[in-house]
Amino acid sequence: MTEFGQALVNAIMLGGFYALMVIGFSLIWGVMGVINLAHGEFVVVGAYLTWFMNRHVGWEPFVALVVVIPVMFALGYLVQRVLINRIIDRPPLVSLLVTYGLAILIANSLKLAFTGTPRSVTTALSGFWRVADVTIPVVKTIDLMLALAMMAALSLLLTRSRLGKAIRAAAQNRRAARMVGIEIGSVFAVTFGIGIALTGAAGTLFSLTQPIAPFVGLPLTLRAFAITTMSGLGNISGALFGSMALAAVEVFVGTYVPGVGTNLGLVATFVVLVVILITRPQGLFGGLPPAEE
Amino acid sequence: MLEIAQRQPIRWLRRSGLLVLLVVLALLPLLAARGDGDGMVNNSTLFSLTQMLMLVTLASNWNFVSGLTGYIDFGHVAFFGLGAYATGILMSKAGWPFLPTLAVGALSAGAAAVLIGRATMHLKGPYFSIAMLGTFAALREIARVARPLTGGGPGLTLPPYLNRPLFYYLALGQAVLVVALYRWVRRTEFGLMMLGIREDEPGAEMRGVNTIFVKTSAFGLAALSSGIVGGMWAYQNTFIDPDIVFLDSRTIDMAIASVLGGLGTIIGPVIGAGLLYWLRDVVWASFLQWHLIVQGLLLIGIMLVLPNGIIGLLGDRSGLDPRRIWARRRKR
Repeated sequence: MTEFGQALVNAIMLGGFYALMVIGFSLIWGVMGVINLAHGEFVVVGAYLTWFMNRHVGWEPFVALVVVIPVMFALGYLVQRVLINRIIDRPPLVSLLVTYGLAILIANSLKLAFTGTPRSVTTALSGFWRVADVTIPVVKTIDLMLALAMMAALSLLLTRSRLGKAIRAAAQNRRAARMVGIEIGSVFAVTFGIGIALTGAAGTLFSLTQPIAPFVGLPLTLRAFAITTMSGLGNISGALFGSMALAAVEVFVGTYVPGVGTNLGLVATFVVLVVILITRPQGLFGGLPPAEE
Repeated sequence: MLEIAQRQPIRWLRRSGLLVLLVVLALLPLLAARGDGDGMVNNSTLFSLTQMLMLVTLASNWNFVSGLTGYIDFGHVAFFGLGAYATGILMSKAGWPFLPTLAVGALSAGAAAVLIGRATMHLKGPYFSIAMLGTFAALREIARVARPLTGGGPGLTLPPYLNRPLFYYLALGQAVLVVALYRWVRRTEFGLMMLGIREDEPGAEMRGVNTIFVKTSAFGLAALSSGIVGGMWAYQNTFIDPDIVFLDSRTIDMAIASVLGGLGTIIGPVIGAGLLYWLRDVVWASFLQWHLIVQGLLLIGIMLVLPNGIIGLLGDRSGLDPRRIWARRRKR
């Protein structure tokens, strides 16, 4: 029972991280139709930024969010302006190859800048609570709270602000949005910036739970893709649900099947994903665009 | 008629040029043997030419699936890896001689592709691409976990065998065979069906093309050939582990070579692979740690400015403009 409770707590904590990681991916795909294969690499950039502030400036990792979010926003804005806006009206293959190129570029630049040695941040919040023999680490609890808060903020931004309205309009119909005077280029750039800022924040949470290395991005991209496919594009509550489901699969497989790391959960996820895509091409809850529309 | 007459000398030039190139490539190792390894062609040149020829084959395989049927495969290195592990396991654990392991590797890669393809080739466009990316990542994890068989993270060591000319001739032979085969296939009815799938899959289906059969057969054939390259690479390298075998940048190499030369043409990947290797050896050999960064930039750059590749630059429009793929269907 204790084992089950512990696994459940771990799954919820991991699910919170996945949810924050995935909404940026889902937002960018939903609004621009770009499947960003460099997504996991942006998580890693955020993690390295956090590590840098922690190691060389001596900040608490959570405080580093103050730097990570604006820097990642600027980075995302720039990437969209310089690169993605040029290929946005082209078919998905172009953006897949371009973002794959970007992924390789970022991962290897990180390796050059920080070497391949795994890095860890230090935090004063390394304690934990024990509730009925179940360990609840303080850091992961804050992780979860922050993730939920940021998702709520994004949801408010999208539904309650003028900018959010413009983003939703651009997502629904690019041409019509242009016609009513929405600056599509800058709306897309801001959207990409927001998506990458959230992704970078997920990187901060990532840095607190495991060591950072330059090449850990790809499995994260794959998870983001799997979750988004399950939960539909730009669907925030769906992303939360999908993340929790994926995290539960990974954690329970890791707990109850001996000699298996969480990465083998990824294998299981992909089998499930392919089955879902074949049997329900519109996604588990609908809302997934057909590939040949 | 006039046009054909004008084209004849060009075709003749092309053929004799190709013949000369093949003869030179076939004679190169003899030069190496005579020059005691310090002439113009030494062992390391031979090694790097072997690697280039392997890339020619791999890129042709990748292009056969991705360029001709339009199913962009981001996990093709998985089949290379299966071949490498077949050779690695059979030679180091079961003591098999080299050549039979190539057959086993080829068959297991081909069979895996048919099985995986039966499932993933129902997916369209980017969904297929990412499912293959997932397949590749999954196989890498399995290679890491299945320690008793694959040696896990620490890897497997094969019996060393330093015969550079042998590997060179094997790689050359395979590259020539594979390119000739694909050139022939493209002209057959089967090749037309592949192109039909690329241009308009529902349309092809309606005209009675068994699309799943065509796609998975093409996929299986390409994987079979990549499995053989994997086996040769493993024996030449004498060491394999999950990370160097299931290397995502190897898929990128195949994609860059194909796109650089001209996606969907037969000769494009050959030119692309050659150019990529020349660039790698000559231009950025001196700053090696940058080479993957440059590679990423190169992929982005080609997609932005040269989407038809070098073949397209030469005026041959028979290939596939990546900007067009999946777009034609979208218009409807």
